[in-house]
Amino acid sequence: MAADSATSNRHFLPTSLRAAIIAGSYWVVSLSLTVLSGSIGSFIGCLFACYFIDSSINRSPLNKLRTFTIVTISFCVCLLGLSLASLTTNTQILADVMAPIVTFNTGEFIKWFAIAGSLTVILRTLAQRTSVGSVLEILFVATAFVVTLSAHRNGMIHRPFIIGDYALTRGIDPSNILMIFGCGAVLSLAALLMIENNHRRLPYHFTILGLLCFSLLIYVRMFGLPTPQLTDDLGLTGQEQAGNNSRRENPFQDSANDASDKEAPVAVVVFRDDYEPTNGSYYFRESAYSQFNGTMLDYTNRDDMDQDLIERFTSARLETEQLPKAVDQRTAVRTTIGMLISHRNPFGLESPIAYENRPNPNNLRFKRTYDTYSLAPEYDFNYLLGRELGREDWSQEVWDEYLTIPDDERYTQLAESLIANLKPQYADDPFAKAWAVKAYLDENGIYSLKNEHAYETDPAGSFLFGDLTGYCMHFSFAATYMFRSLGIPARVGIGYSVPASNRAGGSSLLIQAVHGHAWPEIYFRDIGWVIVDPAPQQTLVDMTTDPQNSLQQLLGDMLRDDASFEDFLQSQQTSFINVPLLLNILYFALLAALMAGFGTKYYRRWIPAHSNLQNQYRLSYRSVLDQLSAVGLYRKFGESREQFAARVSAIAPSMEIMTSQHLAQALGNADETHYSQQQWRQLRNTIVQEIQTNAETGKKIIATLNPFSWLLSK
Amino acid sequence: MTPDSIAEVSELDQASDTQDISNNDLDVAISVLHKLINAVKQQVLGRDDVIELTVIALMADGHVLLEDFPGSGKTTLAKALGEAIVDSEHSTEAEGQNKPADYIRPFRRIQFTPDLLPSDVTGVPVFDSNSNDFHFRHGPLFAHVVLADEINRTSPKVQSAMLEAMGEKQVTVDNVTYKLDDLFFVIATQNPLDLVGTYPLPTPQLDRFLFKITMDHIDRESELDVLESYKERRDQVQQKITVSRDEVVSARQQIDDTVVISLAVKTALVDISRNLREDERVLQGNSTRSMVLMLPALQVAAALRGRNYVSAEDIELLLPRVLGHRVELAPGVAALDKVLADAMRAPMEQLARGTLS
Repeated sequence: MAADSATSNRHFLPTSLRAAIIAGSYWVVSLSLTVLSGSIGSFIGCLFACYFIDSSINRSPLNKLRTFTIVTISFCVCLLGLSLASLTTNTQILADVMAPIVTFNTGEFIKWFAIAGSLTVILRTLAQRTSVGSVLEILFVATAFVVTLSAHRNGMIHRPFIIGDYALTRGIDPSNILMIFGCGAVLSLAALLMIENNHRRLPYHFTILGLLCFSLLIYVRMFGLPTPQLTDDLGLTGQEQAGNNSRRENPFQDSANDASDKEAPVAVVVFRDDYEPTNGSYYFRESAYSQFNGTMLDYTNRDDMDQDLIERFTSARLETEQLPKAVDQRTAVRTTIGMLISHRNPFGLESPIAYENRPNPNNLRFKRTYDTYSLAPEYDFNYLLGRELGREDWSQEVWDEYLTIPDDERYTQLAESLIANLKPQYADDPFAKAWAVKAYLDENGIYSLKNEHAYETDPAGSFLFGDLTGYCMHFSFAATYMFRSLGIPARVGIGYSVPASNRAGGSSLLIQAVHGHAWPEIYFRDIGWVIVDPAPQQTLVDMTTDPQNSLQQLLGDMLRDDASFEDFLQSQQTSFINVPLLLNILYFALLAALMAGFGTKYYRRWIPAHSNLQNQYRLSYRSVLDQLSAVGLYRKFGESREQFAARVSAIAPSMEIMTSQHLAQALGNADETHYSQQQWRQLRNTIVQEIQTNAETGKKIIATLNPFSWLLSK
Repeated sequence: MTPDSIAEVSELDQASDTQDISNNDLDVAISVLHKLINAVKQQVLGRDDVIELTVIALMADGHVLLEDFPGSGKTTLAKALGEAIVDSEHSTEAEGQNKPADYIRPFRRIQFTPDLLPSDVTGVPVFDSNSNDFHFRHGPLFAHVVLADEINRTSPKVQSAMLEAMGEKQVTVDNVTYKLDDLFFVIATQNPLDLVGTYPLPTPQLDRFLFKITMDHIDRESELDVLESYKERRDQVQQKITVSRDEVVSARQQIDDTVVISLAVKTALVDISRNLREDERVLQGNSTRSMVLMLPALQVAAALRGRNYVSAEDIELLLPRVLGHRVELAPGVAALDKVLADAMRAPMEQLARGTLS
């Protein structure tokens, strides 16, 4: 029993280290898949499973079970845990007793505890029982980090927050840090594996593994990570699939508004001129739905409509065909926009009038960078009152297009009833009518990311005449239809709307996925397209986000690409380790190590031919040992020289003569020399020839390349 | 390998042979060793390792304890060894004062029983009525090779007399000390299983034996060989190989003078002993004397392999035989091999590495 406890004590440290590493990779993986409670669950589950397996795999009853049985049981436990988790979240009683959020957290905890626990049990069992298992384990850890790393490539640079924020504020690519962690984890696991199997080979193999990981780091540093071609899973309009104007997806589907990544950065905007919106939000228009296609509004396919939009990216400067009017009520604003994910069209601060491509200051970070020139509105409500509608150069067809609505009388009826209560002096005013419609939606609409109208023929109608619960698409479509039913030319603008408060006084503004928006616009003859955006007073979701001021500032500075960015980085780095310098030192050290390795290798091969007879026995023998260890034949710990010579006699039969000559002088009378220089040289050459003849070709190639093979000769 | 390189190798072989032959003194000693071994091999089949160890012990001035079953060839071995050493006629004037040739026999066997008395072993003064005086009648210990059969069956009194002879090469009877022959060599045996009514040898007495050799049954082919050639050996068809006593004594001297034990080897021995003593599985480690006794044995083992230096091989060969009966393991620890291997690993590694520095 005493011996037993001693054994478990000896195993405690490696077990803990391994458990921590595997649990760490679970934590990393779970970050992007679940909430905090799930991450904690997976961490604890993994730790628990590691200690459980390592302490009791060799005891009853586990030692009696076959590996397959243990794996099957683990699967069953996993399924059981998952069902328990789903039972927890789906049972009304629990949700009533506790808060719903607590129920959700408990469910996630149970789910991830079960997944991590059972998977770890399987991995650890395989690792303990089979030789492949340990490799699987290392692969798992490596995969965990690679998966997270590839998530970084998608621009989700904020995850895990701790690492992301820390690295970004210091100007380091977070993927590097994550890669270092991953390499470290894989290395430590591999080291653990080797310690447990054969502690004597550790230093050599650890060096080789370390070099591999280090060269990976160097590769990434020099060439960067491969960037994905397309990213279309974020944001409302983050789609670049094709140049055609047809809408690919139903905009009323919930998935289009999935809030799971609502904080994901989409773009950053740098304001070159002072501008503060009058209505509290910055609107960035990308495109518009203006033509009724029989079921709903869609991108127009007419050249004479929506001529104010910029519909493609070009390398040259591009100006809109139509300029907004009321220039005296607008201010010219130049903005620089850096897109973090790809978009179909450039978007610009309302109303964009020109687009100009800009050199990308950071290819890894920005998909596209460009300048837009906007005439941003500064008018107030009073200015909008009493205006005429429509543009004078619109043809009748265009007018009709902007007024077409679904064949549903209820739009007109509802709109008419809404404007019936207007004060007499505004009864004929277009803006007042529009405002009445907006006010109705503000008061009665309920904002929700879930809706029940997605698959109706007319989702907007179903929303407006149904539960009035929906999101911006529903509100803007409903409003647009009602505007049109009142004879007001209207369309749905698509883009981003960012609260002015997010800018926090700086010159840059971070657009996040949650800011994707659609809004109704109406056209006034002397002004242009004017946004009349319904803002429902009741909302079921919390749409506020962390504006991520430091990220906003960093990306803005990166985009602005001027000296202040470098200054900022410098100021962040001076107080801390200089990472590039450190890396350069490491490269240099690696290079020096390689050169020292090869230098020593060839020196030890060269020196016997140039030393005196007294030292021949030692130097010749050593040079031959080097050549043997290069092809993988080296003396094991505790093995005598004669045993070694006998062992390698299949490859180098003359080694036995060499050994006896060497030992005769090393252990016998050192003064008497048996061999002449000539004979030593002959013996060396013979053995080298024997190795060349008998060793495998692959090993010979490795022997030439390996700079540290001589470390093994002893 | 190219034909050229083969030629080179054979040249090298020849070269190394001639180098070795130049060392004449050692070569004579080596030939004596091989003669002795071959002489015993004629008589004892399938026990080459035991024969080799026994001859090493003989040349190293040590004694051997054999653990074996009855009828396994112990007596044959001892007898063959004893008979292979003959007295040389012309040696009397040089060192003959102490050992008149009449009472030193090549081989004696003593069967130890509980009622044996020390005088039965050493000899006894008897009264000669002719000369009216006592004169000493030499016991069976006055021989070159003495087989002490079942040494653990006799009383401690006889055992201690035996051990004085082994340790000091002399016997003392009635306060008169008689010198034994220089070549005095004891092969003692004991049966490892039949322990009822025995007086087991205590550790300090075991320490007098250089080797304890545990013999297993010989393999099938050898056993068949024994039966096949039984008649020839009984009728002594073959010409016996013999070595003179003086040759053996001078070979001993030559080996002692010629074979080098480097400091590294001695260091390894000391380190192994220290490791053993510190091992918690070992109750009592080996004595310093055991290491001292082992040095000549190492030299002989090296000479037997044609080397004039002691190497790791020799330690590996002899250490288990030297320490087997000297190290007392803690209760519950059975495998001496494993304990020994653990204790040897680091010192042997150091010995091997040391040759390159």
